[in-house]
Amino acid sequence: MKPAPTLLSTAFLHPAGQALPEPLLALRKQRGAALVDMPMPTRKTENWKYSSKYLKLTDEMATSLPATGKTGSALAVPGYKVVFINGVVMPEASEYPDLDNIRIQRFGDLSDAEASELVERLDSTLDAKAVQFAGLNTARFEDGLVIRLKPDAVLDQPLFIIHEVTADSSGSAFPRIFVDAGRNSQLTLVEEYISSGQEAVFVNSVTEFTLAEGANVTNIRLSMGGENVQHIGATGVTQQRSSRFESHCVGFGGPLRRHDLRVRLEGKGAECKLNGVVVTQSTQHYDNHTTIEHVAPNCDSEETYRNIAADKSHAVFNGRIHIHPDAQKSNANMSNKNLLLSTGAEIDTKPELEIYADDVKCAHGATIGQLDEESLFYLVSRGIGRREANVLLTMAFINELVAQIPVEAVRDTVQARLNQFFDQTFQEA
Amino acid sequence: MLSIKNLHASVEGKEILKGINLEIKAGEVHAIMGPNGSGKSTLAQVLAGNDAFEVTSGSVTMNDEDLLEKETEERARDGVFLAFQYPVEIPGVSNLQFMRTSVNAMRHHRGEPEMNAAEFMKLAREISKQVDLDPAFLKRGVNEGFSGGEKKRNEIMQALMLQPKLAILDETDSGLDIDALKVVSDGVNALRAEDRAILMVTHYQRLLDHIVPDFVHVLADGKIVKSGGRELALELEDRGYAWLGIKDDETAASSALSNSAN
Ligand SMILES: Nc1ncnc2c1ncn2[C@@H]1O[C@H](COP(=O)(O)OP(=O)(O)OP(=O)(O)O)[C@@H](O)[C@H]1O
Ligand SMILES: [Mg+2]
Repeated sequence: MKPAPTLLSTAFLHPAGQALPEPLLALRKQRGAALVDMPMPTRKTENWKYSSKYLKLTDEMATSLPATGKTGSALAVPGYKVVFINGVVMPEASEYPDLDNIRIQRFGDLSDAEASELVERLDSTLDAKAVQFAGLNTARFEDGLVIRLKPDAVLDQPLFIIHEVTADSSGSAFPRIFVDAGRNSQLTLVEEYISSGQEAVFVNSVTEFTLAEGANVTNIRLSMGGENVQHIGATGVTQQRSSRFESHCVGFGGPLRRHDLRVRLEGKGAECKLNGVVVTQSTQHYDNHTTIEHVAPNCDSEETYRNIAADKSHAVFNGRIHIHPDAQKSNANMSNKNLLLSTGAEIDTKPELEIYADDVKCAHGATIGQLDEESLFYLVSRGIGRREANVLLTMAFINELVAQIPVEAVRDTVQARLNQFFDQTFQEA
Repeated sequence: MLSIKNLHASVEGKEILKGINLEIKAGEVHAIMGPNGSGKSTLAQVLAGNDAFEVTSGSVTMNDEDLLEKETEERARDGVFLAFQYPVEIPGVSNLQFMRTSVNAMRHHRGEPEMNAAEFMKLAREISKQVDLDPAFLKRGVNEGFSGGEKKRNEIMQALMLQPKLAILDETDSGLDIDALKVVSDGVNALRAEDRAILMVTHYQRLLDHIVPDFVHVLADGKIVKSGGRELALELEDRGYAWLGIKDDETAASSALSNSAN
């Protein structure tokens, strides 16, 4: 057997697509140069301990997938829509408003001045050392979307971003989004990652949000891609005074799924609420790494993640809360519960608290368990079938989080996919 | 209707039921009394199909069909209902959703159409009134945070909803205040019917003032040691279990009995 590569293959360091403003091309080049020695994660890499074995990048995957196709355009969404195919925006499949106070632009359509401004801010929400693969996205993106809300701007409907990869050949895609939410602006952004085709592909996505004072942003992220898609994604958020960020991440497993979510509460009184649901089956994998930095005082964070692992699948949760010395009167709550639906499944969970301020309220809890036999017996003793009883109890585990997703169409999509999972996982006795 | 012959059952290798014989006919009400730990709940759970208990020998038939062959849910659909001594709390599944799923599973089994949400709601409201539970309880998680008495009323509510052929009530009277005992007894009496049998486990004679049983059995150390009419319950109340030659756990049982006398 070939030994695992110790460095990222240089094949990954050749971006395609030159249709970008000069400042973005320069940034890309600079990031690429910095990645020449990027070590590949191994079991010994702390934040990849449980997941490195799932990461299998081949040189065939290094080539960018062609920016064509329009499957995603068929999706009806109750709101505005931007379709990315293989990391590139498809304007003809997209429908979104062009308003004075809300600009939604492709990277390629930015003026040099606007691009320079963006270059200053790209990657600012993510710590390059902790989120190794975010840098790769910056070295490779071929397009991207920048969403800028001026002060007080309110987008009246959710904006759906459909990220599709068409895996008709082996290759990769590097979708990129940057959201600049001005003072007291409001936005609901739904990101849905889907795939078609069967070849082995790699998706490396980054979405960043900067929230100015009083901004209110909701981000729903659905990871629905196929069995052939390795996906490493990162979401970075910085929040100024009294802003509010709400995130709902729902992920279904794959050969490799990794999501890093990092929130920095930089302004007094900012608050974030992070909900997550992960469902894995067969030999799938899913790894969520979240970090909440309480930098400023009087901020609230509330995090609730649930993992469900069936068959021989493997789910990982790592939740870190870091309360900085100045962050007095921080209020941080983290709950992670895990449900193993088979003895062959594995879940690794690790809450990490680092508290450097003395006047804080911080609570966390993590549990791992199975469906409760007594509850099952109670249900079937009322004539309810085994399958249905299992479904009721499994749904009970995540009901609350699914119900909190603020867009009905997304809840329906999630429920439909869950029903599929239940059909595959639970049989009648 | 129900015929139990020489039933032996054990849990984790320990024999609990040591040869139970019991015949129950349609329309009858049987009470089972006996000291703590004698196996009353075990009998109830075995009848309902809890596979935490292993039946090592004996037979149970209901309407001439082998009950022990059947899965728990099949037994329920054939009309076996167990009101649990300790009803289970299931947060995240609403009482309403639970009961509706249950009622529809039964209807499906009988080849009847499902009840829609509105029809079901109407029925649920009526019955919750009958057991004096605020309909707001329907929205809460199954038994979640219910008081002891509320849980028991919820069990009776389910029995009324499902109209079983054989209702097994495991200490449904325990922990009830006087008004609740009346409500629950009225519920059980409403269940009494020509074509239905009731098997109730109780420690308290006072329940039997409200629900007059046809037979009373004393279960001790996994066996029925005495059977009689309702006067047996009165005698137990007066004399405790000791006169029957039952040695262990009398203290708990007789103190329970004397509590009920107060
Ligand atoms: N799951 C179990 N594991 C081990 N022992 C058990 C289990 N369930 C019951 N037992 C034991 O079986 C015996 C009978 O228990 P059971 O619950 O049937 O008694 P009971 O007559 O209903 O008592 P009570 O009046 O206190 O309700 C007890 O000694 C009990 O500890
Ligand atoms: Mg008992």
